[in-house]
Amino acid sequence: MILLNSVSVTFENKVALSGVSVQLPQQRIGVIGLNGSGKSTFARLLNGLVKPTSGTVAVNAINLSIDARAARAQVGFIFSNPDLQIIMPTVAEDVAFSLRGKGLSAAELDSQVAEALERFGLTELANEAAHSLSSGQKQMLALCAVTIAQPALIVADEPTALLDAANSAQVQNFLLNEWQGQVVLVTHDLGLVETCDVLLRFEAGKLAEVGEPATVIANYKKSFA
Amino acid sequence: MITVYKAGNSWLHGIPAGRKLLALTLLLLAISIWGRGAIALGAGAVLCQLAFLAAGFGIAGFARQIWAMRWLLLVMLVPGLIFLPWQTAITNTARLVECVLLASVFSFTTKTADLLKTIERAATPLRRVGVNPASIGLVLTMTISSIPLILKFAGNVREAQMARGVQPNIVRTTVPLLVASLKHSDDFAEALMARGVEV
Repeated sequence: MILLNSVSVTFENKVALSGVSVQLPQQRIGVIGLNGSGKSTFARLLNGLVKPTSGTVAVNAINLSIDARAARAQVGFIFSNPDLQIIMPTVAEDVAFSLRGKGLSAAELDSQVAEALERFGLTELANEAAHSLSSGQKQMLALCAVTIAQPALIVADEPTALLDAANSAQVQNFLLNEWQGQVVLVTHDLGLVETCDVLLRFEAGKLAEVGEPATVIANYKKSFA
Repeated sequence: MITVYKAGNSWLHGIPAGRKLLALTLLLLAISIWGRGAIALGAGAVLCQLAFLAAGFGIAGFARQIWAMRWLLLVMLVPGLIFLPWQTAITNTARLVECVLLASVFSFTTKTADLLKTIERAATPLRRVGVNPASIGLVLTMTISSIPLILKFAGNVREAQMARGVQPNIVRTTVPLLVASLKHSDDFAEALMARGVEV
């Protein structure tokens, strides 16, 4: 459950979000809006990457202003640029990095990493240099590294922006069909969010609309037609 | 030229990272101090080949690594031959190449996670003066990881300049590369936080 109560965010006197209040129990949540409308700020709030100037943000009843670290453990974040998400040199090591500090033995760690790599079709690439992968493979690696930590919520900020149609479909299928936890999908690709359970539309830093995807998309198209 | 772990079952793969790091340090010191003259440099070259064979990469792996170092060889050797006596230029280049080859064998046979743990263990005494050993290990690991990315940025900058009809040179490349790297470091800090690393 995501809960925002009168949230505003200001960066150097520029209002990025203003007075956003929303309660989101749905599993698949889409977020759309023009560039600079506040949708990425909304996404970053959910992982504590951005702190609210006023108001409160809670994910699964954990207030991000009080315990951002605990909230972050529940929220996996996928960026549009998969290069950003690579920390360790090889694919397997990067996935294993997500399990550091969990107190797993080397055998348990290897087994969990192998299982996760297989699920995302990355087994053959386990020992490859992570930065040498294609954009699609890197985004699958990012998904693999995020999901192995078993977050309750995945926030994906334009996860298909740099991908071709095939890779985009693969990421979409995983996030909207295979992933059993909650997902927030921020995108400009309206086709990606039409099957979401609920769609949020941001406009000039305000939450303009929350509702059925078909209705919200139609209103969005009208807003700039 | 950028080396990352290559899975294998050789005895070199099986040696703990700490012992390998110590051996590498001693070998590099030995090459730096005594690596003069044909016999010493020849012995170093044989040692490098043996290390590649022992790690299971064979002569082909050794040759591939030498080929990957061709630009480094050129950068070291050509100015050396111009400004130094030829014996000194060849000796300096050969010593550097031997050091890089041995370091490559270490990287090829050591998982980054094992190296990270070793560095953290070695840096534990620094905790007394307020330094977090985990941060040191992580910074070194991220440096290794980021090198290919910075090279990619440099390639992108060169391509963009050529596409606009500008011949790239070191001055024209440096500023956009610096800007791209700084922007990346900001974004990367955010990504680190998203993956649970407090920066």
